[in-house]
Amino acid sequence: MELIFSLLQQLSVYLVIAYLLSKTPLFMPLTMLSGRFSQRLACYVVFSLFCILGTYFGLAIENAIANTRAIGAVMGGLLGGPFVGFSVGLTGGLHRYSMGGFTDVACAISTTAEGLLGGLVHLYYMRRGLVERIFNPFLAFAVLLVAEVMQMSIILLVAQPYEQAFDLVKTIALPMIIANSLGAALFMSIIQDRKTIYEKYSASFSSKALTIAERTVGVLSSGFNQQNTQKIAQIIYEETGVGAVSITDRDKILAFIGIGDDHHLPGTLISSQHTKQAIENGELIFADGYEVAYQCSIDNSCKLGAALIIPLLDSENQVLGTIKLYEPKQKLFSSLNRSLGEGLAKLLSNQILSSRYIEQQTLLTQAELRLLQAQVNPHFLFNALNTISAVIRRDPDKARQLIQHLSQFFRRNLKHNIESVTIQDELKHIHAYLEIELARFSDRLKVNINIDEQLLMQYVPTFTLQPLVENAIKHGTSTLLENGVIDVTGYLENGVVLLKVIDNAGTYCLNETELQTGLGLQIVDKRLKNSFGERYGLTMLCQSGISTRAEIRFPYNKENHRC
Amino acid sequence: MLKVLVIDDEQYAREELIALLDEQDEVDVEIVGACNNAIEGLKKVHQLKPDLIFLDIQMPQISGMEMLAMLDVETMPKVVFVTAFDEYALQAFEDNAFDYILKPVEPCRLLKTLQRVQSSVQPTDYKALTNKPLSLIPCAGFNRYVLLKPSEIEIAYSDQSGVHIIGNQADSTENSCSLSLKVLEEKTELLRCHRQYLINPNAIREIRLLDNSLAEIITTSGAVAPVSRRYLKMLKDRFQLS
Repeated sequence: MELIFSLLQQLSVYLVIAYLLSKTPLFMPLTMLSGRFSQRLACYVVFSLFCILGTYFGLAIENAIANTRAIGAVMGGLLGGPFVGFSVGLTGGLHRYSMGGFTDVACAISTTAEGLLGGLVHLYYMRRGLVERIFNPFLAFAVLLVAEVMQMSIILLVAQPYEQAFDLVKTIALPMIIANSLGAALFMSIIQDRKTIYEKYSASFSSKALTIAERTVGVLSSGFNQQNTQKIAQIIYEETGVGAVSITDRDKILAFIGIGDDHHLPGTLISSQHTKQAIENGELIFADGYEVAYQCSIDNSCKLGAALIIPLLDSENQVLGTIKLYEPKQKLFSSLNRSLGEGLAKLLSNQILSSRYIEQQTLLTQAELRLLQAQVNPHFLFNALNTISAVIRRDPDKARQLIQHLSQFFRRNLKHNIESVTIQDELKHIHAYLEIELARFSDRLKVNINIDEQLLMQYVPTFTLQPLVENAIKHGTSTLLENGVIDVTGYLENGVVLLKVIDNAGTYCLNETELQTGLGLQIVDKRLKNSFGERYGLTMLCQSGISTRAEIRFPYNKENHRC
Repeated sequence: MLKVLVIDDEQYAREELIALLDEQDEVDVEIVGACNNAIEGLKKVHQLKPDLIFLDIQMPQISGMEMLAMLDVETMPKVVFVTAFDEYALQAFEDNAFDYILKPVEPCRLLKTLQRVQSSVQPTDYKALTNKPLSLIPCAGFNRYVLLKPSEIEIAYSDQSGVHIIGNQADSTENSCSLSLKVLEEKTELLRCHRQYLINPNAIREIRLLDNSLAEIITTSGAVAPVSRRYLKMLKDRFQLS
């Protein structure tokens, strides 16, 4: 009985060491069964140490040692597999052997066997895909129980003389079985706790980071400005629970939310030295209010006591601005929020960059459009002039009208800056264009226009309908031997405006014309999508030799009905 | 006197050119006709045998260039191309010294062109434009135009009334064609099997040998074409029959 208590006493010291070690990074690989070499090596080193420690903490009895060596060997096997278990057992066993005594050989053999036993249990759960169960303290308890019984049997079998061995086993069997099993269970439970804490920490970290990433997606797509950064700051403030959040560009505060928002006003210039330094050097600054002094640069009575300032960098490491997280004086800055802050800075930097990219794309579209407008179709112009020449002979008044239409058409084409126009205006443009084309193809072209009156004041991007009509004539009806018919219709369907240009040629399906018309139609589609969203735009439908239908869809805007 | 044919798909363009031709009195011209597409144009060229055609380039289905390739070099009239704007074509005209005028037509330029055409004796060589194989063969059916791909033709033959085409489609059995057998033989893969017959080698189902070294060809759709002695040998060589 006395032995049990002394052994448990030793065990306590042993476990205190284990607990202290669990605070070190050395312990981290033990909590994850990765099977990698580094994890196995860590298992071997840590548990060999414990194995030897167990021998030293043993109590010398009758020329033998009552000990807790088995814990190291079995745990090594459980967490590291058969090979590690065997190695740990052998190391511990050889160490024990070096200390001599009549049970030296028996102990060396049994410790190695115990290590192997732990390893076999590891293999068993591994094969069944139940690796997580290895961390169960009850399992450790049970395995150790078996291992100790095994050890006692080996001592009885190997140690000479038998009588002495029998006496020894009678004395130490119960204390050792109890102490070792209990010790292993407690050791495993320390590891398990460590594992749980670590997983919870990373889980809450990732879930916070993911939520913020998800909520901020696309907010900056329309620019890195006060309005958008305010939204971002609000999201970060809500998700992280810090005292206050601020976002700045290189010169001024763009957004500020949280404690102190009465005097940290968006739009004012940056006054904090820390922030200026962060922008200047592109480095992260953590003013914890203790090591690095923090005092609000605007108001001495400000409650904020610590600030983390992270620069936002672009792809060339130029500082775009900063994001600042604050905590009030009576609260500590959690390390979680610190590393989260760094991640957020990266996320925002990327979002700012992608919004710039989108902006440039839009500019490019505008440039393309200008190019297209500037390309006054020369074929159209000279044919129009030729037609007018002919009309002058037989009907000078009509010729004069045609010249008016032609001027109107070109004047409109030269207006570069108008982004959007009403359908009514677009129809006027089409009218001017069609008057010329109808004169040219007087004997073989017919155009029917039928647009609902309620659509006339709806806005569309400039050059939306006219290119479709031009396309239908140029690549459609003008290639027909028979008469061409073009229908332009517009109506409302479930809150969506539908505009259709349909010709009776059906030539769009042929690849050769697609190549020529592709760019113009792509721009029409791109501009509609830019204005109304990805769901809307232009679709082309073609029945070879029968018809080509160009269909435009965009949402009806109730505020723009006809006045 | 120059017999002139105007081919342009725009009515006002035809009227304007004809008016300008009438207005000048330096060169004696007679306008024998005006057509609004290349198919009509081909027909009129064969019917009216003009000395000069004014040929618009951009026309439906068959462009002016393609139409030129369908004319027989031996009976080819002189050609003046007419275009409003066509960078590539203009470059080709310049390179090959072909006559062309631009729309709207300048009267002085028209007159110079007429004078040059009148004084030139040598026929112009249009090979630079016309040596490509034909992709569509225009035919006139009953009250309609039919455009056949060369692969759809089984037999082409000529008789007193002109060239006729037998297609492989049920609805295009017989059409008259304004192209000569010679042009068809040169610019499609049709083979000569008789002085008056061309056959599509891909449409041959059977060559039936007759007495006197004559033969008959039966096509996939069952039409029959005679093979003369002279061409039978060539056919045998082509298909490696002995």
